[in-house]
Amino acid sequence: MSKLTGKIGKSYVLTSIIISAIVIVLVFIILVGNSWQAVSNLGWNLFSLRWNAPTGEFGILSMCYGTAIVTLIALLLAVPLGIMTAIFTSEMLPSKLRIPVKSLLELLAGIPSIIYGLIGIAFFAIWLQDLFQLQSGRTILTAGFLLAIMILPTIITLVDDALHNIPKQYQEASMGLGLYKYEIIKNTLLPIAKADIYGAILLAFGRALGETMAVMLVIGSIDKIPSPFFNVLSPGQTITSKLGREIAETSFGSVHFSAMIFMGLILFTLVFIITLFSQRANKKRIRLYE
Amino acid sequence: MNSRKTINSIFKNAVRLSFIFCAGILVFLFGTIIWKGSAAISLDFLTKPTENFGAAGGIVHQITGSLLMILTTAIISFPIALGTAIYRSEYLKNPRSQNMADTLIFSLNGIPSIIFGIFGLIFFVNILGTGVSWFVGSIILAMMILPTLVLSAYQSVNSVPSIYRESALALGMTKWKVISTVLLPKGINGAITGLLIGIARAIGETAPIMFIATAFSGVQFPTTLLQPVSALPTHILSLAQQATNPAALQNAWGTSMVLVILVVLFSTSGLLVRLRFQKK
Repeated sequence: MSKLTGKIGKSYVLTSIIISAIVIVLVFIILVGNSWQAVSNLGWNLFSLRWNAPTGEFGILSMCYGTAIVTLIALLLAVPLGIMTAIFTSEMLPSKLRIPVKSLLELLAGIPSIIYGLIGIAFFAIWLQDLFQLQSGRTILTAGFLLAIMILPTIITLVDDALHNIPKQYQEASMGLGLYKYEIIKNTLLPIAKADIYGAILLAFGRALGETMAVMLVIGSIDKIPSPFFNVLSPGQTITSKLGREIAETSFGSVHFSAMIFMGLILFTLVFIITLFSQRANKKRIRLYE
Repeated sequence: MNSRKTINSIFKNAVRLSFIFCAGILVFLFGTIIWKGSAAISLDFLTKPTENFGAAGGIVHQITGSLLMILTTAIISFPIALGTAIYRSEYLKNPRSQNMADTLIFSLNGIPSIIFGIFGLIFFVNILGTGVSWFVGSIILAMMILPTLVLSAYQSVNSVPSIYRESALALGMTKWKVISTVLLPKGINGAITGLLIGIARAIGETAPIMFIATAFSGVQFPTTLLQPVSALPTHILSLAQQATNPAALQNAWGTSMVLVILVVLFSTSGLLVRLRFQKK
């Protein structure tokens, strides 16, 4: 009897892990299978600038550019701000307050992205419109700004943990040398926490690439690279916002649909590579100090 | 000497300022949601069906639709996550396959939510021909939160000291007996924590369900597995797209506040459960 339950038990846990494995493989196969049509029909024309469904032109470069620039803006804003805030919560805040303050900041991560989008169109877009006298406040900059706020809690939490995990004797030794707080942080703490900070940024990067709802609502959804290309006060389109806006209206099995899935595949592959790197960054964390 | 001091004080003030800025963002976001949301919320809003494409009426079907979906999500993902965690902890012994399992779980965690959405659209709606169905939405959400549950359950199973396993084996228990009496209770605690945190994330997701599980208005409580429902996040989306209509926008804020309250409820109970189990 107990042999039987043992067998059932083992096959249950085995089935579970097989299901988990199948899920990710299936996602990949489905994406590859459905983007094949676009790749074989259009070939290198996929990497062109014009996206015009009626004439059969499906160039994805504008969307790739949009994803790249929005993510870049978000990281440029959020990384320095996040690291500085983490330095404050970990090194300057009284240790009793650290956990409550951190938990409050983590609440930001819990707000669903659609609500960020709502706040984006109700406030940020209008502020930007008034500030720069634009026709519409739904621009690449608005999306980047919103995205920066969304990835901020990830960076703060992880960098704060990294700094907090450094044993106290490093600080004490540096203090004993008569260094100022700034010098301790810059010369002792940040170099030790470097690998973890790198991992945190990669994680935030992955999240920013895949964010859909908030970006879709505020970016303006125009499939063009602005001219000049660094004019971030004009509307744009990211891979995710394109997918979110258009895929439901595209008929399954057409080249149009397939080109959309091809963009999804590119996104999936990018995020997959970033995940692998961030996992490696976490593993390489040298435990010199233990 | 003096310049070192100046740099130090500039640095300290910059760090303080960034913190104040972040705290300001937090206060602004929650302040906005609460201030705008409480103006829209009333008993009628919570208990009446939607009218006039969301510009009038309440959100009762959106609330029940969202709760139904995440409840099903929980039922689907819980046993799979528990089994995966136990397999990873107790059966995978060589580092290489452990590594592979970790990579798998982390990559699943990293997949953008919109990718799950288009995967569901292709695989379930088009290939399997289910049509727009809340049940499919639950399956997709379950896939999405699986890694959160697995990692949480794995940590608690793995934190059981080896001496417990060895003592139990020395008593002549079979491996499965050890798992089911010693390790499973621990794993269940971890999986519950992970489940609450995962659900807090799943209930707010729009991108995975908007093509495959929800319809925007005129939907009642579903009677079969293959019907669409209305959900809170997709309702906010449709209202946000009519942002020029002040009545619709106000209801969007009301819906947002209900959604945020649910998210905070699930994530704090996850936190409390974790604290309680840690004390034991």
